[in-house]
Amino acid sequence: MHVTDRFEEYEGEEHDYLKLIEADFGSLLDLPFASAIRAGFPSSAEGYEQSSIDFNRDMIRHPEATFYGRVYGDSMVDAGINDGDIAVIDRSAEASDGDIVVAYINGEFTIKYLDLSHRSKGYIELRPANDAFEAIRISSADEFEVWGVVLWTIKKWKG
Amino acid sequence: MDHQEMEGLTHTQPRRLYAICDCDNCFVSCERVFRPDLEGKAVVVLSNNDGCVVARSSEAKALGIRMGVPYFEMRREFDESQVVAFSSNYELYADMTARVMSLIKKAAPAFFRYSIDEAFCMLPPGEATEAKSWGEALAKRVRKFTGMPLSIGIAPTKTLAKVAVRFAKKYRAYNRCCVISTDEQRRKALELTEVADVWGIGRRMAPRLRRERVDNALQLAEKPLEWVKARFNIVFQRTYLELRGVDCIPDEKAAPKKTILTSRSFDGLVSDLDTLRTHVANFAARGAEKLRRQGSVASTVGVFIVTNRFREDLPQYGNMIDYRMANSTSSTVEIVEAAHKALDKIYRPGYQYKKAGVMMIGISDGNVRQPDLFEYSPERQERMTKLDRAIDLINRIQGRDTVTIGSQRYDDKAHPGGKSRPFADVIRHDHRSPSPTTRWPDIIKLK
Repeated sequence: MHVTDRFEEYEGEEHDYLKLIEADFGSLLDLPFASAIRAGFPSSAEGYEQSSIDFNRDMIRHPEATFYGRVYGDSMVDAGINDGDIAVIDRSAEASDGDIVVAYINGEFTIKYLDLSHRSKGYIELRPANDAFEAIRISSADEFEVWGVVLWTIKKWKG
Repeated sequence: MDHQEMEGLTHTQPRRLYAICDCDNCFVSCERVFRPDLEGKAVVVLSNNDGCVVARSSEAKALGIRMGVPYFEMRREFDESQVVAFSSNYELYADMTARVMSLIKKAAPAFFRYSIDEAFCMLPPGEATEAKSWGEALAKRVRKFTGMPLSIGIAPTKTLAKVAVRFAKKYRAYNRCCVISTDEQRRKALELTEVADVWGIGRRMAPRLRRERVDNALQLAEKPLEWVKARFNIVFQRTYLELRGVDCIPDEKAAPKKTILTSRSFDGLVSDLDTLRTHVANFAARGAEKLRRQGSVASTVGVFIVTNRFREDLPQYGNMIDYRMANSTSSTVEIVEAAHKALDKIYRPGYQYKKAGVMMIGISDGNVRQPDLFEYSPERQERMTKLDRAIDLINRIQGRDTVTIGSQRYDDKAHPGGKSRPFADVIRHDHRSPSPTTRWPDIIKLK
């Protein structure tokens, strides 16, 4: 059997390769660079370079805090949120009264209006935007957490 | 006592401080972000192929579940209602920790990542109270933004910062950040820390120290330098000095190595060359992808294979070889090709292999490669680069292993002639969670 010393060294590091994973969740869109110096006529557009519009950059304030969710069902149709829409969720935003939020309740994530108007009476509500659905009342005793605030929803019209 | 050595903490001038930021039970915490119902419950994460426990929640630790205990053994004692087990989902952990690291990096003037879930920061000289509020604010921000619980230890040396972070984790009253800045704090913290728990000492060294009647870290720090020099090597001496407040472990020692290793134990034993070649192709492809992500290239590909040394009833063999390529590259096709050539050289039939690995060696900056004069072809290079970009783009959007090169795919032995399967489907992960941050089909379901 032939095992080099070097191999032994790596043998002991069962999980070491993990340490080198660097995930990149930055923008995929390349920004145009200022044109290089070259001979000949300068471009008449020179000096007017602007970075292209980039949804990742302009719509997402905190990439570290941004998550995506897909809407199932019709509980928010009157708010213009339909089955199949994608929600852009920001955990860094503070949830205020009237915001559309994502909360975790009874083992699942739900998207609803946050209603803080009854706080003085000791409860808050997660309100649907559809008369066929009931509001979810949360008394302070319940284990409840606003998971994130919905900043945008994305709707597909044609595939 | 040699007072010069103690200058560290008796000096009146404010000193540079190190902060170690460490995710609490990292893998378990990543799973809990998307399963808030598991907060407060015993949760473990299993190694590749669901072999053994590699991460535990504090509740699982309290049940007495040890690190590295085989999964089947744990199940004999605890059922699903007592302990929830997850297969490891490195895709999720890599993404979540990248978010955490990005927030730390933005908050710190100087930063380097030490492991998947830890980073050192260098803070400018200042008051301890300032450092404390910096740490508390960062931990709070990381928790709010990502859901990850983070603990921070701050001290004038890296080793003392590591001591401090243990206190931050253990006691709620620290509010997630513990600072050791005065000599009194240092002595008290070291007295409460077992030597085995000191960064760089570990369980192996501890019995030897105990025989010398050194049980806690303070007893070690108070030994004379000569005593330590007579018994231990330079690496240990550095740890000792750092416990005394002398900043002497260089940053590069703490930084990750300059090779990329991708290796895995197989689910069962493998004897045929074809399956082995497929495994090696996948490890090589992973390595190439990691190179491209950090914008570097490798000059050499190392491959190793080894049998199961615990199976004494089977013949044993293991070998490793380095294959130097004509050009430094990060191309999947070229690196897989090199890895296959290396494997062919060390493969011996008649053995049952348990594990293989592929290493990227001689890593350098991708922008300054030295082309080989005879074999370099700009056209080929350009084609390869385009191919790799396309592979990375699709895999990033659609999920890992959506596009692979032919040799990365496994023949389905159960259905000969049928479709070959991607690598991700070959690893066993019966309890794998979704990857809501890296795959569109897995994003959070909102009712």
